[in-house]
This record gives sequence, structure tokens and C-alpha cells, in this order.
Amino acid sequence: MKRFMQWMLRLAVAFIGILLISGLPILINGFQKGELWWREYGEHLLVIFPLNRFLDTYYSSYIGEYILYSLEILFLALLAAVIFALSFTIITMLFKERSRQRIKTLFFFLESLPDILVILLIQLLVIFVHRHTGVFMSIASTGGEKIYLLPVFCLMILPMVQLYRLSMLTFEAEERKLYVELARSLGFNKVIILLIHIFRNAIISIFFQSKKTMWFMLSNLFILERMFNMPGIMFHLSEHMSGELSLITVCSFFIPVFIIYSFFEWYFLRRTSRGGTIL
Amino acid sequence: MKLLLKQPYFVFGFLIIAFFLIGSFVFEWLNGPDPKQTYFIMEKGRVIEAAPLSPSWLHPLGTDQFGFDMFAKIMLGAKYTIISAMGVAAVRMLIAVPIGFAIGTYWQKRRTVINSFIDPLHYIPMTIFSYLILFPVLWEPMEGFSTTVWERIVIQIVLMAIITVPIVSSLIGNEANLLYQQEYILASRTLGASKSRIITRHLFPMMREKLFVLYGQQVVETLVVFTHLGLLQLYIGGTDVSYDPMFADPPKSIAYEWASLFGSSFRYLQGVPWLPLGPAICFALVILAIASMIEGYTRAVSGQVKIPRRKKVTFVSDKTVEWNQQQLKEKMQLLYKEKQKL
Repeated sequence: MKRFMQWMLRLAVAFIGILLISGLPILINGFQKGELWWREYGEHLLVIFPLNRFLDTYYSSYIGEYILYSLEILFLALLAAVIFALSFTIITMLFKERSRQRIKTLFFFLESLPDILVILLIQLLVIFVHRHTGVFMSIASTGGEKIYLLPVFCLMILPMVQLYRLSMLTFEAEERKLYVELARSLGFNKVIILLIHIFRNAIISIFFQSKKTMWFMLSNLFILERMFNMPGIMFHLSEHMSGELSLITVCSFFIPVFIIYSFFEWYFLRRTSRGGTIL
Repeated sequence: MKLLLKQPYFVFGFLIIAFFLIGSFVFEWLNGPDPKQTYFIMEKGRVIEAAPLSPSWLHPLGTDQFGFDMFAKIMLGAKYTIISAMGVAAVRMLIAVPIGFAIGTYWQKRRTVINSFIDPLHYIPMTIFSYLILFPVLWEPMEGFSTTVWERIVIQIVLMAIITVPIVSSLIGNEANLLYQQEYILASRTLGASKSRIITRHLFPMMREKLFVLYGQQVVETLVVFTHLGLLQLYIGGTDVSYDPMFADPPKSIAYEWASLFGSSFRYLQGVPWLPLGPAICFALVILAIASMIEGYTRAVSGQVKIPRRKKVTFVSDKTVEWNQQQLKEKMQLLYKEKQKL
């Protein structure tokens, strides 16, 4: 119960932080004119307070749909990124040391690609394919239709590369531990050691480090929705930028992600503190 | 320094950055501040191609819809983009490093509280955050800017730097706190070293390499945010918006910086792909250059720490040194016993 109260407190602190930040443009506007607009800032902070009126003005049904669509894309991409990154890691771990080094260098170059270039190149590729074969995949949605395949693919690539590097580091650190040596000396197959022993120890620390990737993906999603004209909340935000709308947007990502992460954190910590591994 | 020059990664990155930076100044010095304009190409008395011209030997990156040479624009704009990204990262580090060390040493007990306040900042996408804050500064209002270009650039750099100061300083604070628990620092504390001495003598030399790497990462992050802001039509130094109801020009940048070159043209991807691709590839090159500089640097310095040379304060005899060592040993043993009791 006490931990739950702490958790609620953290959530509240985070929400207040976001609320304070969403009002900053007002202060900066005033600062440019040489005045301090504290009163306007205070009014902005109180804007949510009759809560149902705030929801009535901003939370109309279509915004709910926008949020849902953005969250769908985000989580599909995250899932795809995790699956691909882990399977690539396992495949690379089966190689010998020297070829592993080469694969890592390749991914090092991939990691420094900026997201806009990735999206541009994929869009160009689709146009090229369409010109030569006539196969068409929609690269920008028109009239509010929902597209899934390409956005998820674009959003997945860079987080996948990041996660791959992260999990390679963890897997390699894990590989040097004694229990792996023991398992090897007992004559276990390399694949079995990887899949059963290393995997379930590595996955925990990968999870704890993946928060940063999540953050990185949110920025990416913003750009992606704009470049694909997707009917998501981020595109809506970039068209009608305002403090209130950015508050809604940030909260609509923050709350689900926060709940999911703290659930898994609690789960993992409970399992590992009992001395067991997960799975 | 010599070790750095032996690292191929570092040299490769350094050459790319030097090419863009030095090239940018030399280009402006040779050709003047305006790019060459070509309206059309004539061959045998007939117009064969009008602007936007596709890439050729004469215009390696093509020209834009008004006939301005893209290569010239990119070279002219390189200095603004690269220098402001480095400036943002530098200001950020200058603010974050002292705060970080303070969190790690002076405010150790309050560290968890501070961290729990900083943690939610991770969930606000940098792009949205900086767009929200910079929009009132950079977007030209109806009545025109009330600030000059240089003022706007300075305000932008400082604001963008401050945005992630909390995150960076909590990172440095956690790192410094880890080092603070090391045994040799415990020893110098026992001998009565003050916290500021520990910071300057032990923590800072130990963390110098990490701080350089962090600086490089901040430059990369800033460059990425620049591209995003460019896409949202907020350019470095302000966006010149035309409110003419009849023939409004598209929003344009004051200088030819890359974010604006990319942001104003990405809608033309299908027709004139070289317009957005040129600046985007240049961004990628610079980011790659910095990433490989970081890689080369970490390879060159890994495993060695440079400790600042000890100033000769007074003449100390060997006897005193011995006595000091004896005292230290005793105190360490005392500490060890006390630890075991606990």
C-alpha cells in the first residue's frame, strides 16, 4: 500500500511538471515584450480545474481517435523493434568474434542516420518501386485514412538499431559470466545456452535501459506523423500548437507508458528479489 | 593528441567537420554571401532545362525552384548549423556539469528526490518541448520581429541548452556519486580533503573523458532537434513569415542554414528529390562524423586517466610523507574495523 502511494505521488509530480512546462510559452512571450506575465501563467495552470469543462472543450471524440491511432503505431513499432532487435542479437551471437565485430561496425553507421533521412529514403524507395513495378503503398494518407505498414516500419528502424546495440552489450557481458562457462562445460548446445540461460538474464537489464529508446521514439513519432500526414494526435498538435493541446498530447503518451513501465518494473523486481529468474 | 591522430575513426570525423566548417568560411570569402542563380540552361540557342535544375557537373546538388545553386546554399549555411549545434551543447554542458557535481557531492541525500522530479522530463519529446518554447521567439509575428537576428540566435541557443540541463545534470550527478563511494576518495576524505578539492582533484579528472563523450552526444542530439524544428518551419535565427494576403512567400529562413533548406523543401520529394535529400544527407554526414569522432576518442583514451600535475606547494621531507602514510594506514584500518562492526 505504501509503495502504491509512492507511485501515485510520482505520477502526480510528473503531471504537475508537465503542466508547468506547457505554460512556459506564455512566460517567454511576456519576457520578449519585457514584462512578466505571471497572472496569465497562473490562469493557464488553472485551466484544467473544472475538469469536465476542460475535457468538454478539448477532448472531443475525434481527439480520442487520434490518440488511439498514435498509440497503436507507437506500440506496434516498439513491439516490432524489440522482436527484431532480439532476434538479430541472437543470430549475431551465434557468429564468431571477428565477424561479430564487422556486423557491429555496420550497425554503428546505421545508428548515426538521422530519422528524417530514413523516412525520406523509404518514401523515395516506395515512389521508385511504384514507378517501375506499379505496386503502390500509400506514403501519405489523404482524407484521414489510417495507414499502418509503412509508418510502423519507418518508426521501427532506428529504435531497433539502438536496442540491438544495447542488447548486444548486455548479451556479451552475460556471456562472460561463470554460469555460461559451466553450462558449456556440461556440454550444452550454444543455441540452448543463448535462448534459455543468457536470454532470460539479459532481458531484465535490457528492459531497464529501454526507457531512453522509448523517449527517442516519441520525438520520432512526431516527425513521422508530420511527414506522412497521419491523422494522429502529434500531427493534430503540430497543426494547432497550443499549451493545452500539448498537455493533452504529452499526457496521452506519458500515462500509458508510465503505467506499463512501472508495472513491469514492479514485476521484475519482485521476481528477481526472490532469487529467481523471470520466465 | 598523438594518440587521437592514430585513430582512423577520429581523423575521418574530424576531416568531415573541418571540410564543412572551413569550407563554409572559405566559400563565403571566395564567392560572396549570395549563391549563384541560374534560371535555365541553354543549348544551341534553345532552353533545355529550367529551374529547378537537376544535379549535374555544374550544379552538383542541383538548384532550387528559383535557380539558386543548392551546393552553394549548403556550403554557406554549414557554419550556422554546425556552430549553433556546438554552441547549444557547450552552453548545456557548462551549466549541467557544476550542477551535476553538486548533486553528486553536496546534495547526496536529496539525490533521490531530485531524480524523481527530473524523471518525468524524459517523457516529453524534445522536439515538442523545444517547439513550444521557441515558437514565440522564432516565428515572425504580424508586426515583425522585435529582436535582432543575433539576439534571437543567442536566445535560441540558451533556451535549447536549458531544456535538457536537468536530464544531463542528473546523469552527471549519478555518475559522480558512484565515483564518490570509491575507496581512494574515502581515503582523501579521511585526510580532510574538502568537497571542492575532491571535485577538482578526483572527480573531474576521472570523468573528463566521459564528459567529452557526453558533449559529442549532446551535439548530435541538438542537430537532430534542429532537423525536426526545420520540418516544423522553425529555423535557426528565426523564420521570416510573409503575411501578404496575395503573393505570400513561403516562410523562409534568415540565413541559409540546413534545417530551413530541408524543412522548406521536403514536400517536393516526389518531383525534385535532390532538394530535401541534399541537406538531409549533409546532416547525416555531420552526425556520422561526430559519432565516429566519439568512437575514435573513446578508443584512444580508454583505460588511461590523466591526473593534473601536482603543484609544489612547500618542501615536504620524506619523513613527513612517511608519517602521513602511517597515519593513513591506521585510519583506514580503524575505518575497516568500524565497517565490520556494522
